[in-house]
Amino acid sequence: MHLAYPAVLAVLLFSVGVYGVLARRNVILVLMSVELMLNAVNLNLVAFDVWLRDTLHAGQALTLFTITVAAAEIGLGLAIVLLVYRTRRTAAVDRVTALGDRHEADDPADAAEEKEQAAA
Amino acid sequence: MIATHALAAAGGNSPSIPAPHIEYGQLSPMLVVFGAALVGILAEAFLPRRLRAATQLGISLAGLVGGFVAVVVLAAQGHASTRAGLLAMGSVAIDGPALFLQGVILLTAVLAVLTYAEGRLEPRINGHRIDAFAAQAAAVPGGEQEREATREGLRTTEIYPLTLFAVGGMLLFPASNDLLTMFVALEVLSLPLYLMCAIARRRRLLSQEAAVKYFLLGAFASAFFLFGTALLYGYAGSLRLGEIADVVSGVAPVTPALAVTTQNDALLLIGLAMVSVGLLFKVGAVPFHSWTPDVYQGAPTPVTGFMAAATKTAAFGALLRLFYVAFPGIRWDWRPVMWGVAILTMVVGSILAVTQQDVKRLLAYSSIAHAGFILTGLIATDRRGVAAVLFYLLAYSFVTLGAFAVVTLVRDSKGEATHLSSWAGLGRRSPLLAAVFALFLLAFAGIPLTSGFTGKFAVFQAAAGGGAAPLVIVGVLSSAIAAFFYIRVIVLMFFSDPQPSGPAVAVPSALTATTIAFGVLVTLGLGLLPQYFLDLATKASIFIR
Amino acid sequence: MSYLLSATCAVPAVGAVVTAALPAGTGEARRRTTKAVALGFSVATLGLAAAIAASFQPGGARYQLTESYSWIRSFGIDFSLGADGIGTVLALLTAVLVPLVMLAGWHDADPSAPEGTFESKRRTQGFFALILAVEAMVLVSFLATDVFVFYVFFEAMLIPMYFLIGGFGDRAGGPDSARQRSYAAVKFLLYNLLGGLVMLAAVIGLYVVASDQGLATFSLPALTDAISSGKLVIDPTAQRALFLGFFFAFAVKAPLWPLHTWLPKAMGESTAGTAVLITAVVDKVGTFAMLRFCLGLFPDASKTFAPAILVLSLIGIVYGALVAIGQKDIKRLVAYASISHFGFIIMGIFAMTSQGQSGATLYMVNHGISTAAWMLVAGFLISRRGSRLIADYGGVQKVAPVLAGTFLIGGLATLSLPGLAPFVSEFLVLVGTFTRYPVIGIIATFGIVLAALYSLMLYQRTMTGPVKASVTGMPDLKARELAVVAPLVALTVLLGVYPQPLTRMVDPAVNDTLSQIHRTDPAPAHPVAATTGGEQK
Repeated sequence: MHLAYPAVLAVLLFSVGVYGVLARRNVILVLMSVELMLNAVNLNLVAFDVWLRDTLHAGQALTLFTITVAAAEIGLGLAIVLLVYRTRRTAAVDRVTALGDRHEADDPADAAEEKEQAAA
Repeated sequence: MIATHALAAAGGNSPSIPAPHIEYGQLSPMLVVFGAALVGILAEAFLPRRLRAATQLGISLAGLVGGFVAVVVLAAQGHASTRAGLLAMGSVAIDGPALFLQGVILLTAVLAVLTYAEGRLEPRINGHRIDAFAAQAAAVPGGEQEREATREGLRTTEIYPLTLFAVGGMLLFPASNDLLTMFVALEVLSLPLYLMCAIARRRRLLSQEAAVKYFLLGAFASAFFLFGTALLYGYAGSLRLGEIADVVSGVAPVTPALAVTTQNDALLLIGLAMVSVGLLFKVGAVPFHSWTPDVYQGAPTPVTGFMAAATKTAAFGALLRLFYVAFPGIRWDWRPVMWGVAILTMVVGSILAVTQQDVKRLLAYSSIAHAGFILTGLIATDRRGVAAVLFYLLAYSFVTLGAFAVVTLVRDSKGEATHLSSWAGLGRRSPLLAAVFALFLLAFAGIPLTSGFTGKFAVFQAAAGGGAAPLVIVGVLSSAIAAFFYIRVIVLMFFSDPQPSGPAVAVPSALTATTIAFGVLVTLGLGLLPQYFLDLATKASIFIR
Repeated sequence: MSYLLSATCAVPAVGAVVTAALPAGTGEARRRTTKAVALGFSVATLGLAAAIAASFQPGGARYQLTESYSWIRSFGIDFSLGADGIGTVLALLTAVLVPLVMLAGWHDADPSAPEGTFESKRRTQGFFALILAVEAMVLVSFLATDVFVFYVFFEAMLIPMYFLIGGFGDRAGGPDSARQRSYAAVKFLLYNLLGGLVMLAAVIGLYVVASDQGLATFSLPALTDAISSGKLVIDPTAQRALFLGFFFAFAVKAPLWPLHTWLPKAMGESTAGTAVLITAVVDKVGTFAMLRFCLGLFPDASKTFAPAILVLSLIGIVYGALVAIGQKDIKRLVAYASISHFGFIIMGIFAMTSQGQSGATLYMVNHGISTAAWMLVAGFLISRRGSRLIADYGGVQKVAPVLAGTFLIGGLATLSLPGLAPFVSEFLVLVGTFTRYPVIGIIATFGIVLAALYSLMLYQRTMTGPVKASVTGMPDLKARELAVVAPLVALTVLLGVYPQPLTRMVDPAVNDTLSQIHRTDPAPAHPVAATTGGEQK
C-alpha cells in the first residue's frame, strides 16, 4: 500500500473535523470534531512511522501521547461544557456571547451580571 | 524500488528497550515545580479545609522559588553557556534561552501566586476572608449550592496546584527539543489554564464563557499543531528539532523511504505552517488572536495577569526554538510570512485597542500589539534578535503582571470596576495608584526611561540590523497609534472628573503590594540601568542543537 | 574629568524628587516651604549653569567639560555630556528662566487656584516638582553629546510637560476649561510623541548604518568626525530618510509650519509660566537639535532639503504673524507670534551662513527672554481680571502703569526694536539669509512689519484708550512680579546693546558646524552684509 492512501484519508478526516468545528453550533459536536482532527493526526503518524521504518517508532510513541492527551482534553472540555450547560441550559456555541467587542457603552459584564441575577 | 516499498513490509522488532538516561539534576527546575504540584494535590485531598489556603500558598511559593533557585544554580554552573546540552535522550534542551525564560516564568509565577492569595479586597463573609476565585467552581451561579458555599467561606484552593502544573508545562515548553515534548508541554500548560479561566468568583458567566472559548479555540489550535507535527515527521522522519534541521538543510543521510517524503516540499511547508499556527495562537498573534480579548476579560484578573505574562513568555520561547533550531535552513520561506503576521499583529492590535471600553480588553489588545513587536525581533534571525526577544519578554512580563494587579484593586459593589468610564478621575482619588498604573501604561507605550522603551529599542534595532527596516517603520507607526490609547487612559485618570458613584480603591495586603512594587521596580530598573540584563540576555542567546 | 555638567543636570532632578516627596499639607506654611525648596534648587542650578558659562573657553575645544559614563554597553551608549558654545548659552537661558517661571507661578498651584485635577493636598508639590523635572531633562538635552541620551531625554520630557499642561491652568478658564486643558495636553503629547517615534526609527537606522561600517556608537563627536572626514559614508537615499526622521521630530517640537497646531492650544490653556516653559525652553530643544544633529550628522541631506525648509519657515513667519494679528486671546496671540519667530530661527539655521546661524542661536536666547517677559506680564494681567480676551481690557496703563510699561517693552522686543536684544539676532538672520537666498530674505523682512502690527495693536487695545469698567482698581505689579520682570527687561536691554559675550561663545561653535558640513559663507555681494559680519566677529 502506498503512503498516499492513508495520507489522503488523514487529510480528508482532518478537513471534516475543521468543517465540524467551524460549522457546528453544539459544543459537544464541536468537541467531537476536534477529536476527529486528532484522529486524523494519529492515522498520519502511524502511517508515516511504518513507511519510514523508524527504528525509534517516534510516530507511534507520539500517537500514544496524542490519544492520552486527547482523553484528558475531552474530559476537561466536557467539564467546562457541563458547567456552562448547567448555568445556561444550552450548549450552543453561538448563544455564548456575553463577551465580545461592543461599540457602545453598554457594559457586557453588567448585562451578564443581570442575567446571572435573573437566573438566581 | 521505491514503488515496491509497501507499508506491509515494515515493522522490525527491537529486542529490548534500553532504559533512557535522565539527567535529573539539570531537569530539576521542572521536577521541583511538578513535584510541588503533586504535593499540592495531596494537600487538597487530605488537609482540613481551613488549613488549605495557607498551606497551598506555602507549597506553591516553595516550589516556584525552589525552581527559580535551581535555574540560578544551573546558570551559575554554566549550563546556560558552556555546558548547555540536550537532556533526557535529546528531548529537552537546557541552554541559555531555556534557562533565561524559565527564570522569567518562575519569577512571574511567584508574583502571580501572590496576587491569587490576596484576601483583603473583598469584604469578609461570615468572618471568612475570600479571594478572587469561586467558592465552589462546580456550583451553578446564583444557585442555592453556591450561596451555601459562599456562606461557609469555601475557596477554590485547587487554583494553586493547577497553576503549578501550568508553570511546569511552561518551563518545559521553551526547553523542548522535539515536537513530541513540545506538544506535551503545550497541553500541560494549556489544560490547567482552561480550568483556571472558569473559576472567577464574580461574573461567573463571563468567566465560564471565557473558558469555553479558550478551550475550544485552544483545542482547535493544538490539533493544527499536531497535524503539522505529523507532516513534519513524515517529511523528516524524526521529531527532533535538530534532526529536522539536518534533513531540511540536506546534511542528513537519506534512506530510500525518506527520499520519497523529502522530495515533497509541501509536507515541510504545510507542516511548518500548521505548527506555527498552533504556537502563534498561544502567542496571540493576528489572525489567531480572536480569543485573547474575550479570555483576558472573562478570566479572573490574577489569572489573566499570569496568563498574559507567563504564557506569552513560554510560547515565544517555543516559537524561537522552533524557528532558530529546526528551520533556519528555510528562513527565506518563512520570513516573508512572519513579516506579514508581525505587521498585521502590530497594526490590528493597536487599532482595535483604540475603541475599547474595558480596561482588561484594552490590556488584551495591547498584549496583541506587543506580540507583534516581539515578532519583529524574532524575524531578525540572528543572535541579537534572540537577545532582544528575551529581554523584551522579561520587561513585558513584569509590566503586564503589575498592570493587571492594579486592575484588581479598583472595585465597586459588583467587584472589579473594569469599565473605563469608572476609572475617570482615579488620579484625584488615589494619586499613588493612578501614578503607578500610568507608569505601567507609559512602559507599554514605550516612553524612554521605562523598561518598555529599552525592550522596544532592542527589538527594533535587531530587526533593522537584520534587514527588516520597513518592519521598524510599521512598528514605530503602530507604537504611535498604541500610545494614543494608553494616553487616553491617563487622561481619563488624571484630567477627568470622577463619577459620583465611581469605584473605590481597595487597600491591598502585602501580597498584591509586593507584586505591584516589584513591577514598578523592574519597569524603572530595566529603563534606567538595563545593561546587566541586556548582558544576561545576550549571553543567553545561543540555542543548543 | 569634571563633574560640573552632571551636577548641573542632577541638581534639578534631585530637586524634583525632593520637592515631590515633601510632606503634603494644605497649610500656607507647608506650601511656602515647598516653593522655597523648589526655588532653592532652581537657583542652585542657575549657579552651576553660570559656572559652566564662566569656565567655558570660547576659543577652546568644541566640547568642553566633557564627562562620560558607560550606560548601555550593548548598544554602544554612553551617558556623555559636553558643553559647546550653543549648548552652554541655551543651558544658561534655561537656568535663568526656570526660577523666574517659578516665581511667576508662585500661586498657580495653590488650592485657591481654579479647580485642579491633582489632589489638592499634593498639588503644590506636584507643580514645582514637574517644573524641576522638565528643567533637568532640558539641561541634559542641551548638554548631551550622545545621540541616544539626547533622544531619551528629548522624549521623556514630554511626560512632565504633559502633566503641567493638563493639570494646571490659569484663572481665566471657562466652565469647560478642564476639558480644554486635557485636550491641549493630549494634542501636545500626541504630536510630539509621533515626532519622537519617527525619530526613534531614524536613531535606530543611524546606529545600524554606523555599526555596519564598524562604528557601533551613538557618540555625536565620533559620528560627526567620521562623517565629515569621510570615514562613515551614508548613502544619499538613506541619509535623506534619516535626516527627515530627525527633522520631523524637531520640526514638531520647534514648531515649524505646518506642524505647529499644538502650540497655540497648549500655550493658551496652560498657565503663563508653563507657556513660557514651552515656548522659551522646551521648544528651543527642537531648534537647537536641528543645528546640532541634523546639520552635523547629515550634511548632504541638510543641503538638499535646505531650500524646502526655508520656504516652510518663510510661510511660518508670515502665517504666524498674520494669524497673530487676528487673535482675540492674548496668550494665543503670543503663541502665534512665537510661531513666526521660530520661522526666523529655522530660517537662520538652514540658510547655512555664519551670520544666519549665529543669529539663529542668539535668536533662541533673545526670543526666550523677550517672550518670557511678554508672556509673564500678560499672565499677571490675565490673573488680575480673570480673562484672556483682549476685548475685556482697555486703558490699563492709567491704572497700572508699571505693568503696562513692562508689557510695552516685551512687545517692542518682540517686534525687534533696535536697541533691544531680538533686533540684533533678527538682523543677523535676515542678513545671513539674504546673502544666499536674497528673495527669501526680502520676503521675510515683511515679517518685521507684521510683528509691529500685532504687538502694537495688542498694546493699543489693552493698555491705551479709556479705562474699562472691568479694569478700574486693577492693582499694579507687586514686588514678587517685579522681581520676575525686572531681570528679564534688564537682559533684553543689555543684550540689545552689548551682545558680544553671547556671540563670543556662539561663533566658534557655529563655524565648527559650518565647516563640518563643508559650507562657507558666500562672497559678500552686498556691502551691508560684509560690514555687519565684520562687526560681529
